[in-house]
Amino acid sequence: MISRRPVACLVAFLALGCHQPERHRGDVEGPKQDPETAKVEPRTQFLVTYPCSAKCHSKRNTNAQQRQLVEFHSQRNKELHHGDSKAWCYQCHSETNIDRLVLPNGSQVSFDEAHLLCGSCHGDKLRDWKLAVHGKTMGHWRGEQIRRSCTACHNPHNPPFGKLEPEHGPVPPQKAGKM
Amino acid sequence: MPCRGSAGEPARAEAEAAGARRQDLVQIRRKHEQSRRSFLAEGALAVAAVAGSSACETTAKFHAHYKELSDEDKKQLFARLEAEVLSRSGVKVKIRDPKPMDGVEFAYALDLTLCNGNRRCAEACARENNLPDEPKFRYIQVVEMNRGTIDFEGGNHYYEHDQVPVKGKVYFPVQCQHCENPPCCKVCPVEATWKEPDGLVVVDYDWCIGCRYCIAACPYYGRRFNFAEPTIRPSRINPDQGYLSNRLRPVGVVEKCTFCLHRTREGRYPACLEACPTGARKFGNLLDPNGEVRVIIERKRVFVLKEELGTLPRFFYFYG
Repeated sequence: MISRRPVACLVAFLALGCHQPERHRGDVEGPKQDPETAKVEPRTQFLVTYPCSAKCHSKRNTNAQQRQLVEFHSQRNKELHHGDSKAWCYQCHSETNIDRLVLPNGSQVSFDEAHLLCGSCHGDKLRDWKLAVHGKTMGHWRGEQIRRSCTACHNPHNPPFGKLEPEHGPVPPQKAGKM
Repeated sequence: MPCRGSAGEPARAEAEAAGARRQDLVQIRRKHEQSRRSFLAEGALAVAAVAGSSACETTAKFHAHYKELSDEDKKQLFARLEAEVLSRSGVKVKIRDPKPMDGVEFAYALDLTLCNGNRRCAEACARENNLPDEPKFRYIQVVEMNRGTIDFEGGNHYYEHDQVPVKGKVYFPVQCQHCENPPCCKVCPVEATWKEPDGLVVVDYDWCIGCRYCIAACPYYGRRFNFAEPTIRPSRINPDQGYLSNRLRPVGVVEKCTFCLHRTREGRYPACLEACPTGARKFGNLLDPNGEVRVIIERKRVFVLKEELGTLPRFFYFYG
């Protein structure tokens, strides 16, 4: 068997900064994946109460006053464990258009582009997410990719990933022996 | 000279005992030799009987090594295997043999900060790769260890909890590492397992004699053996099968993770990656500078398991 360049050499090669992309076979043959062009799965289709302006918020005006929420959002208010205690709806949701999110610079983005809002604080995660290092990617490693946005996995009002029920493990040897 | 005398007595006794043991061993050896000869003679008779009764059955049992099969041989062989599955379980399966892609070497990366031990990967792998319902085993072993350690001996992969992750524990999934320098392939006496040009270590299940040397040689417990006849419900059989990956295996052969080569050689992701709810698993082409795994190797703190053994795994762990 013809020996190829071992993986460790490649790793060392890259770590030393002697990276010469034109020497790798992968550069010249076949289509490559480009992390920047991957599609992001839209979020609004999964949001039960969206558009907010056509549902609950059609009946009331925006009240920017920071207060204890008692109606629909009371549960949400209890769950708001994100950032410091001063966190308030309109730091992230737009005051003028309740169907949009607002970035720290004042510009509005849709709920489908929540990663831009999240990334305005969590820049390192946005960088990794853009490179497909953080977050879930579906589809093909070569070909069309679909990226999941931040809020598909993290509840923005309580971001840590929740607990899950695990699948059953393998049968321990003493039990397997009884078969 | 009492000292010399007392030293001589046990020495003589020892020599006599050794002589007796040697005699015993010779006896045992002779007995084995006889039984081996009678076994071979019976086997030769049986083969002659099979060959005499039906040439078709002979080819059904003995066909060439995968690497020696021509395209025509493969076509016939796959058709026969498909017919066997159809008659046995009533499921119409399609066996394919996707070829390695040019300019592609597969590699896997796993973010240990994200893995929460939910075992969705192991379950999806079992469904994709037609792992038997009974006996139950999995290619992916998720080891639960105390936080702050990578202690496999003190770890537990049989854990059962209502919810994971458990406080104070970390989870470490291990599967075939598809080493660049695989010890399992070196020890196989019949070359039933080998490394493909795209880096995947595969097994020809029909060529494997079940000696399990490879299991002993693998430092990662990446291989499994079919100790009993594998049984799988027909409704669970995945009809999309690869000859070197997830086709139904017989009893007495070794099997293992193949990075789902019937999927990945067509550009798709492996089943374990698609099933992972936390996005901890990353897969891609090591030769593509934009590939996910290459980016991770270049930017993250990656390590491989048991680096000191020089097996050069293709499976990188990192802390995102």
